Amino acid sequence: MRRKATDAVLHVVLLGWAALVTLPLVWAVVSSLKTDAEIFASPWSVPEAPQWDNWARAWQEAHIGRYLLNTLIVVGGALALVMLLGSLTAYCLARYEFRGNRLIYYALVAGMLFPVFLALVPLFFVVDQLGMLGTYHGLILVYAAYALPFTVFFLHAFFRGLPTAVTEAAFLDGCSHTAAFFKVMLPMARPGMVSVGIFNFLGLWNQYLLPLVLNPDPDRYVLAQGLAALAVSQGYRSDFSGLFAGLIIAILPVLAAYVLFQRQIRSGLTAGAVR
Amino acid sequence: MTPPPTRPSPTRRTLLRGATAAGAAGLLSGCVTAGGGDDTEEATGAVTDENPLGVPDDTGLEVVMFNGGYGQAYTEHAAELYEERHPGAEVDHQGVQRVGETLQPRFVAGEPPDVVDNTGAGRLDLAQLAASGQLHDLAELLDAPSLDDPAVPVRDTLMPGVVADGTLDGAVRFLNYSSVLWGVWYSTSLFEAHGWAYPETWDDMLALCEEIGQAGIAPWTWQGKFPEYMVDPLQSLAAKTGGIELVENIDNLEADAWRQDGMLAAADAIHRLVTGGHIMAGSEALSHTEAQNAWSNGEAAFIPCGSWLEGEQQEVTPEGFDMVMAPVPDLTAADAMPFGALQGSSSESFLVPAQAANPRGGLDYLRCLFSLDVARGFTETAKALPVVRGATDGVEMSTGLASVAAAVEAAGEHVFGYKYRLWYAPLAKAVDDATGELLTGRLDPEAWADRIQTAADDVAADDSITKHRR
Amino acid sequence: MRHGKNRFLIGALAAPLLLYGVFVVSPYAQAFYLAFTDWNGLAGQADNVGFANFTALWSDGLFLAALRNNGLMLLAVPLLTIVLALFFAALLTMGRSDRHGGFRGSGAYRIVYFFPQLLSVAILGVLFQFVYTPNNGLLNGLLEALGLGSLTRSWLAEPAWALPAVMAVMVWAAVGFYVVLFAAAMESIPRDVLEAARLDGAGRLTTFRRITLPFVWDTVQVAYVYLGILALDGFALVQIMTVGPGGPDNATEVVGLTLYRAAFTYGEFGYASAMGVTLFFITLTLTALALRATRRERVEIA
Repeated sequence: MRRKATDAVLHVVLLGWAALVTLPLVWAVVSSLKTDAEIFASPWSVPEAPQWDNWARAWQEAHIGRYLLNTLIVVGGALALVMLLGSLTAYCLARYEFRGNRLIYYALVAGMLFPVFLALVPLFFVVDQLGMLGTYHGLILVYAAYALPFTVFFLHAFFRGLPTAVTEAAFLDGCSHTAAFFKVMLPMARPGMVSVGIFNFLGLWNQYLLPLVLNPDPDRYVLAQGLAALAVSQGYRSDFSGLFAGLIIAILPVLAAYVLFQRQIRSGLTAGAVR
Repeated sequence: MTPPPTRPSPTRRTLLRGATAAGAAGLLSGCVTAGGGDDTEEATGAVTDENPLGVPDDTGLEVVMFNGGYGQAYTEHAAELYEERHPGAEVDHQGVQRVGETLQPRFVAGEPPDVVDNTGAGRLDLAQLAASGQLHDLAELLDAPSLDDPAVPVRDTLMPGVVADGTLDGAVRFLNYSSVLWGVWYSTSLFEAHGWAYPETWDDMLALCEEIGQAGIAPWTWQGKFPEYMVDPLQSLAAKTGGIELVENIDNLEADAWRQDGMLAAADAIHRLVTGGHIMAGSEALSHTEAQNAWSNGEAAFIPCGSWLEGEQQEVTPEGFDMVMAPVPDLTAADAMPFGALQGSSSESFLVPAQAANPRGGLDYLRCLFSLDVARGFTETAKALPVVRGATDGVEMSTGLASVAAAVEAAGEHVFGYKYRLWYAPLAKAVDDATGELLTGRLDPEAWADRIQTAADDVAADDSITKHRR
Repeated sequence: MRHGKNRFLIGALAAPLLLYGVFVVSPYAQAFYLAFTDWNGLAGQADNVGFANFTALWSDGLFLAALRNNGLMLLAVPLLTIVLALFFAALLTMGRSDRHGGFRGSGAYRIVYFFPQLLSVAILGVLFQFVYTPNNGLLNGLLEALGLGSLTRSWLAEPAWALPAVMAVMVWAAVGFYVVLFAAAMESIPRDVLEAARLDGAGRLTTFRRITLPFVWDTVQVAYVYLGILALDGFALVQIMTVGPGGPDNATEVVGLTLYRAAFTYGEFGYASAMGVTLFFITLTLTALALRATRRERVEIA
């Protein structure tokens, strides 16, 4: 009996955390459909008539639509680049013996531990001198460079774990080194690629500091910047409902992708992590 | 916030090895401080009566504007005017929120735009820019004939103080566009409904606060997230009490300047709002928009703010609210300045970068900007006072702007301003932090003054900070 | 088989190493150089000032406050997150009393708990600014609705509460991911081990302490190091959410914010770089210490 009672209490705790997690999000959705006056009246009021106009305003006037596109371009480009370069590097370091192998590996892995803040000031001027400040390709290259250490570190272990017999067979079949990588090893490393790809996507999607410093052109703002700017400009002209709408628009695509692919995403994340 | 799922495991030794490799590569790629500085060719055109500044007619002009509370209608208006005057030129007009982040790299790279409105949070440090030789001298513009009357040079169309405000180390480096005055705001309709009158002394203010409180309205609110909003009435009270001498002592970092009688009395006056319970609950955590909206909704009677408030609030102000700005009340019967004295300065700093590709065009753009036509438009769209003489003549003004214009008139020569915020940003931060604490009652006036004095002494003792005097 | 190996290696490694060298290694190296100068970011030249920037740091109240706050975050955020995540993960995988199974709806909980991981820090900052705002914010509204009106306060304006409020957001956002991670680790515990424990009459707590925890300890270490790095940052949240930002009265100042302000507001790029270098050595030392400490513990448990 006591155990059953404990079970009930524990279940309530689980439910409680679920509520705690969803409440702010639901509240933001409701707030995005209120008028400013309703927002100020009470946090609990339900909008008298849903103000879809807020969403339109956020999309159009606050340029959330454009920021979303910018983010997709930059994150997509950087993701493709870092997956290609990272898997190649990890493969070479894991499967070939050559002078400097360990040095390169440790130099790359050390990059994971350095606080980005340390590099911030000079990085700004490096990107500037290359004429890449506020450009898509500049941001893509920097994003990829900073995602490289983790990608290599993760995939290095993965390539090490693949059987050597397969590549040897491929070479006997007359495969070149390049072909062996792309045709044989890369497909075998697919689970690892999926895991690290998801991690990288979330990490790059999350970037705030790098674009804040390196991407000063408002036309090319990524979502995180756009929202912060919206919060600032909201400081100059009040539009709280529009800000909530912008938040929701920024959250929805990732949330939708997650709900659709949640099983693959979570198994991908944990596959690499728990071994 | 995405965690690497496996443990990063290099040892300290391997890390150091990595760091050494990093050092070697750094040497190869050259150093950041060596960059920029290649001089851009300056475009010029023939000087004529129509074109006194010698603007090249077919060269584009890039202007980067702060897109804030005043909007951009007036800078766009000036751009149209410029394009009319130079049909071959196209103006690339950009509005940004954080000027510093956008332009800092371009200044360093030697490729700044042709005109900049350096304003808002995150603006560039003007003194630093000037000291680094990044700002074009505006003397030529001031001596050029104004757009409205060729007999009158631009210099003579501006209100007093503007040229002085923009002078750094002997040369005019920037021109501010908007007159800003600080005071206490209230709704005349609310006051009429309750039969209240704006108090002229602080004692009356405290008495009125009691009365307002009994009516179920919070007497004061303030923009607690940014304590500088409350610094303004505080230092206005101090200046009125101690006179311009008090202000100069503060700006010159004199010993015990923050413990002058007038300053302590002013801090005590503000502190009484706290101890009297006259401040709306929660104000200390509100952003400026949140506090101002609460005030517009009639939840609080007074709010401190600069003259931009009406423009900033225009979309959320209820019909018939009729806001007005008043000077801070007198603190003592022996105040050094009269009731109407105001803290004032100019803002929206326009400058032409020294390394601009088209500096002549930049100067001529400013000539358009400071014309009567654009200034009148500014009065209407931004609901603020431009520094151009006669810009408000015959313009129908809203209650707030009219009250500001009347306050300027009444103040006459008694307009004062502090410079320490511009000169010593870290001291300004210390003042803001301490004032935030004073307003929540966690510091008393004595401790407030001690705290700031220590910060001021630190600045005074720091040789690495360039000192200014007035 | 060795044919073309070198050509392949050079071709494959040139681009990534160039990218890494230019955008990662060289800025870090330059930061070390800048830390010894008085460069203001605008002037063409920088004078060498030796260790002046570093000595100035130790009398800079703002920087010290930032270090203190990051230190507090370093203590509280990983600990709270890991404890909560272990707790929920254990409930989801083996929480039920009858057969050590997870609670009904375990899968759904995992989906929901993971949500915050999908919000970028900028979104978190803007959202929670509104959650905490005193008069019409969600938190105070919730407390009022629950009849706990006396607990309402200006969360971000009281020095005692502002930092915990920021840390709560970090924990809120991080817990879900580690629940998923720990739950996956716990599910790989062999059934028969758990079964044996149950037959021995071990209760839930004992099973957790004796079997579950040692089994997932490796994963906990990973979580700890990563959460530590997270706690040493906090810049975006503080910059977007807090009074000042960094206030009230420096109660939420973090090193990242001090550095950012010094560089991009005050133009003290040399001084800011010195902060970055200091932060780097602190991170390095702490990581080494943490790894060493947890390693020893693992030996003891095993």
